[in-house]
Amino acid sequence: MIDPFPPFLIFLIGAAILPLIPQGNLRAAVSLIFPVISAWLIWTMPEGLHLPVTFVGLDLTVLRVDKLSTIFGLIFSLAAFLSLLYAWHVRDTVQQISALLYAGSAIGAVFAGDLITLFFFWEGTAIASVFLIWARRTEGAYHTGMRYLIIQIASGVILIAGAALYFRTTGNVEFTNMSDLFAAGDIGTILIFFAFGIKCAFPLLHNWLQDSYPAATITGTVILSSFTTKLAVYSLARGFPGTEILIYIGAVMTLFPIFYAVIENDLRRVLAYSLNNQLGFMVVGVGIGTELALNGTAAHAFAHILYKSLLFMSVGAVLFRTGTAKGSELGGLYKTMPLTMIFCVIGAASISAFPLFSGFISKSLILSAAAHDHYYVIWAILLFASAGVFHHSGIKIPYFVFFAHDSGLRPKEAPWNMLLAMGLTSFLCIAVGAYPEPLYNLLPYEVDYVPYTTTHVITQLQLLFFSALAFTVLMRTGIYPPELKSINIDTDWIYRKAGPKVIYWFTWVIGSFYNWITTLMSKTTERTIKRLYRSHGPEGQMARSWPTGAMVLSIAVLLGASLLVSFLV
Amino acid sequence: MAKTPKDDPANYPALGRWLMFLDKKKNVDRIVYGLYALCTALFLADFFYYKKVYMDLEKFPGFYALYGFFMCAALVVCAKLMRRFLMRPEDYYAPYDVEAEEYPEEDLDRESVND
Repeated sequence: MIDPFPPFLIFLIGAAILPLIPQGNLRAAVSLIFPVISAWLIWTMPEGLHLPVTFVGLDLTVLRVDKLSTIFGLIFSLAAFLSLLYAWHVRDTVQQISALLYAGSAIGAVFAGDLITLFFFWEGTAIASVFLIWARRTEGAYHTGMRYLIIQIASGVILIAGAALYFRTTGNVEFTNMSDLFAAGDIGTILIFFAFGIKCAFPLLHNWLQDSYPAATITGTVILSSFTTKLAVYSLARGFPGTEILIYIGAVMTLFPIFYAVIENDLRRVLAYSLNNQLGFMVVGVGIGTELALNGTAAHAFAHILYKSLLFMSVGAVLFRTGTAKGSELGGLYKTMPLTMIFCVIGAASISAFPLFSGFISKSLILSAAAHDHYYVIWAILLFASAGVFHHSGIKIPYFVFFAHDSGLRPKEAPWNMLLAMGLTSFLCIAVGAYPEPLYNLLPYEVDYVPYTTTHVITQLQLLFFSALAFTVLMRTGIYPPELKSINIDTDWIYRKAGPKVIYWFTWVIGSFYNWITTLMSKTTERTIKRLYRSHGPEGQMARSWPTGAMVLSIAVLLGASLLVSFLV
Repeated sequence: MAKTPKDDPANYPALGRWLMFLDKKKNVDRIVYGLYALCTALFLADFFYYKKVYMDLEKFPGFYALYGFFMCAALVVCAKLMRRFLMRPEDYYAPYDVEAEEYPEEDLDRESVND
């Protein structure tokens, strides 16, 4: 028996034995056991470095247990449990196995003590998760999955290249704080940073997220939303705490997705944009790098996984019952899906950081850290982003799905397993928000922060209710942009439209030139051959057999000419 | 599913039926007036407690309220303008995108309360 037993192995074992159980409720029930065992293993593992392995001459550490990896391991296990419960009704072996392998890879990655182990799990998350997109089994999903896979694998390739260069510089592959090397301009560390940045959806590297998450299956999106990006946040918190550029990257990340989220019609894509925005808060926390800020990042990742899953679950339940998740097609569903509506509102209140909901006690750590360290502009941007996220995730999603104009759709309430998963997640969102101490105790550093002060509660309520007021006023005056059947182009336009266009243009130019040259050459050759044929061919001048008379005549001419010449000289 | 002619509220879940007061414009107006009253109260609350904040900017009465209101209004107006440049038809990327596709029916469980 391996001691301590690595939690990721539980998921691998699960993925191996799950197909042996007949498809049905039993298999769904068994799949729920693995995350529970994983959480228990993580909870009981002693801190420290475990399972050292030597691999091609490199010293690897499969398990590094400390408070930072533990909190991410626990929330990943919890998220896996809730998503699998939500997916109880799914009878697709591919999705069941890939969900387990994906969660297992993510958990393996957060406990990886070195860059090589990290790389293996990093690619594991990429490969396992793409099946959740392909499981939709449509042509569009196939192409989207391909784009997703190319970007995710590229991130891994860059990571391993960075690790190789890092090994050349430092002589080891330990996954530890690399901020000093990064600041010194070490190319290996920069590559590693870049690899993390792709998975973390940094601005301009972000579009794989909004492209792929709405393309996955209903349950697949819920699972996808929890792991990949938060693994990247963890990796940044581990490798690059206090790297100042992250503050600015994070601030931009909180900012631009909210504009897109306001005009986007596909509500699962709206949620993907707001996910990107929430990652920005965490990245800012890593960039500030103080104990308060890193606590904020870990707490916010924890809270975020819960409420973001909850929001994806509620929109997914609507998609499951109506066949669409588009704002332009929905409305008035509160009458027949009231419980889903309530859970959606709880998720919305949590992401918006209403007092007594989870976002309130986690996001404020990061905002306070920014103000403490005198990043006032950043603080103002984060405050704006907080109001903005309330605007699109907090109001827009519940409003356009469950209220607004009556779409005439009268779907049944979500099935029991979805309601149970949403109910449990809602409970956790409120529990964490109302009683944050247990979460604070899990954080990497000692917490000396009181979220519930008169000032904090009143100022937060002011911010949120006046944002709601803005929404109401804009809605009533008709200024608010209506939901339209449309898409909005983002940076992916560069590689989906512009890139192919440029390549098409180049091939056209080169192709035309090639055609011109070959036509010219073949025509010239043809003409030459024809000419030669005319003179040298069977009918040609040169090939004709001349009559004897002509010969006699030419000899006579020749003789005459020579006589004339000899007479003259 | 969908727009069945015999749409009967009796088939709705009890909670949904109870919430149907939201269908009346009068009640929606009441909620909106409630929001106005709440906002006024929150704005005025700033004058009645000791605001423990770090920055001078925050001490300005109603700073959070005004910031939230105007920034959100600006957000929506900017986003609306962005639509002019960014909006494309749904099948813009088709067939390489799911946006113009229907969600596969076999993975759905469309059921209407009126069935």
